[in-house]
Amino acid sequence: MNAPAVINEFAKMRHLKVGVFGLAMVVAVVALALFALVSNPDVDLGDSSAWNALLAGMSLGIPLVSPLLLAVLASRQTDMEHQGNGWLLQATSGLTPGGLCRAKFMALGLVVAVLTVVQSLLVLLAGKVLAGILPPAPLGHWAGFTLCMLAVNLVVLAMHILISAKVENQLVALGIGVLGTLLAVFSQGLPPVAAHLTPWGYYSLALAADYDVSEYVTLPLAYPSIAALTLVAALLFTVFTSRFDRQEA
Amino acid sequence: MSSPPVTPPVVTPPVVATENLTKTYGGRSVVDDLNLSIPAGCVYGFLGPNGSGKSTTMKMLLSLIQPTGGRVQIMGRPMTRGTRRELLGSIGSLIEAPPGYAHLTGAENMRLVQRLLGLNREQIDDAVRTVRLQDQMDKKVRNYSLGMKQRLGIAMALARRPRLLILDEPTNGLDPAGIEEIRGLLRRLADDGVTVMVSSHLLGEIDKTANVLGILSQGRMIFQGTRSELMTASAPDVIISCSDPQAAVATLRPFDARHAGRSDVAIPALDDQQTAGAVAALVGQRIGVYGVRRDEQTLEDVFMSLTAGGGL
Repeated sequence: MNAPAVINEFAKMRHLKVGVFGLAMVVAVVALALFALVSNPDVDLGDSSAWNALLAGMSLGIPLVSPLLLAVLASRQTDMEHQGNGWLLQATSGLTPGGLCRAKFMALGLVVAVLTVVQSLLVLLAGKVLAGILPPAPLGHWAGFTLCMLAVNLVVLAMHILISAKVENQLVALGIGVLGTLLAVFSQGLPPVAAHLTPWGYYSLALAADYDVSEYVTLPLAYPSIAALTLVAALLFTVFTSRFDRQEA
Repeated sequence: MSSPPVTPPVVTPPVVATENLTKTYGGRSVVDDLNLSIPAGCVYGFLGPNGSGKSTTMKMLLSLIQPTGGRVQIMGRPMTRGTRRELLGSIGSLIEAPPGYAHLTGAENMRLVQRLLGLNREQIDDAVRTVRLQDQMDKKVRNYSLGMKQRLGIAMALARRPRLLILDEPTNGLDPAGIEEIRGLLRRLADDGVTVMVSSHLLGEIDKTANVLGILSQGRMIFQGTRSELMTASAPDVIISCSDPQAAVATLRPFDARHAGRSDVAIPALDDQQTAGAVAALVGQRIGVYGVRRDEQTLEDVFMSLTAGGGL
C-alpha cells in the first residue's frame, strides 16, 4: 500500500463536501429506520420484534440511499483527476493510474466503513435510548447485518471508482448510480437468483428483517453469497486496476 | 625518459539519448526511428508542427507510453518500467495541460506533491519562489490564470530538484508577457545546471532560449544541432546586385538564377566556389557586379521550409 498516496486522497477530500454527503447518508438511514419503528402501531417496545422494525427500516434505508451517494462520492473523488490532469501528474511522480484508483478505494473505503458502522450504531442507540426498547438487542444479527451492508457498500464503491476513472463524463457514473438505486430497492421483490445478477441486488440478500403478515420478523443473512461477491469484486478490482497500470497515457 | 600520461578528454554522456525510437498505432508511425541526443545543461528546443509526434516522444521518454521499437536512455540508464520509478525522481515534467486540483489552493496542491515524493518544506518553497508564485499560494487553483497554472505545474515539476526538466508546450495559450516569463525561467534553470527539454510548434517561442534544437516532422527528426548549424544546413540564397539583372538571369540560367527585384538576382543552394564562378561569368559578359551577399533569412523561414516539405 502506498501510504502517502492514501493520505493524499484524504487531503484531496477538502472542499469536496464529503462530510455533508456522509452526514446525509447517515441521517437518512437513521431517519428511515426510526420511521419504520414509529409508523407501525403494532410494534411493542417490550417485545424483541421492535428491534426487527429498526433492522427492517435500515434494510430499506441503506439500499435506498447508498447506491447514489456512493456514486457521488466516487465520482467527486475521481473526476478531479480528469479535470486537473491528475492522472499524468501522478504517473510522472511514479504513481500509476491503477495505484491511484487503489489509493482512492482505500481512502473512500475507510470513510464508507465509518459511515456504515456509525449509522448502524446510531440506530442501535436510538432504539435503546430514544425509543426505549426493553429487550436486549440482537447484537450478533445486528453485527452480521452491518458487516454484510458494509461489504456490499464497498463493492459498489469500488465499481464506481473504476467507472468514474474509465468514463470521463461523470453523468454516466451518476446515471448508473440512479439505476443502481432502483435495482437495489426493487430487487427486494425479486427472486434471490435475480438479486445475484448485479452488485446492487446483494443489498436485498443482506435484508436483516422484514414485515410479514402482522409483525416484523428476523431474516437469515445470505453470508455465502455476500462473501462470494466480495471475493469476486476484490479479484476484479485487482485485475482492472492492474490493467490501468499498464494503460498508456 | 617516459612521456607523461595522456589524459583522455572527458566526454559527458547526453542526459537523454534515444536509439531508433519508434511508436506506431495501428500500422501508422507516429514517431519514426528517432535518435535524440540532449547534452547536459542545455535548453533543448524540440520543435515541430502540431501532430508531428513531440508529445508522444516526450511520453516515451517518461515511460508513460511504451515504444514500439528502439530504446531510451536517461542519464546513462535505460528507461523501462523497471527503472521508471527511480528515474522519475530526477525528472520533472509538464505534459499536455498544466496539472492542478482546481478545488484546492496552490499550497494544498504543492503539499500533495511534497507528500507523494517525500520532499521537504524547503524544496517546495524553493520551487514556488523559482516560479514567483509565492503570493498566490492561498488562492484556489480554479481562480488562477492560465499563466499561473503553468507556473504551478512547473513548480510541481521543479520541487524534486530535477536534473532533467521536460516541458511540453509550456507557453501554449500564454500572452507575450507570460511567454517571456517562461523564457526567463528556462534560462535561469539552465544557468543552474538543469537540462531542459522544451517543445513548441512555434519556433519564435523558444528560438531565443534554446541552444540546441531538434526539429521533428511527421514523426521523423529532420534536424538536430545548434542554431548556427541549422542556418548552415539550409544555405540561404546568394544575392548578386548587378547592372543588368535580365542579362544576368540569362547568363546564370544553369544555376537556376531568378530576378529578385530592382538590380538583384537570387541564386539558390550555391556554395562559395560556385558563387565565385557565377561572379566570374557575369564579369565575362561585361555585366557590372555591385555586390554579392547571402540572403538574410530568419530561423522561422528555415523552420518553415524544413517542416513544410516533411523533411530535408
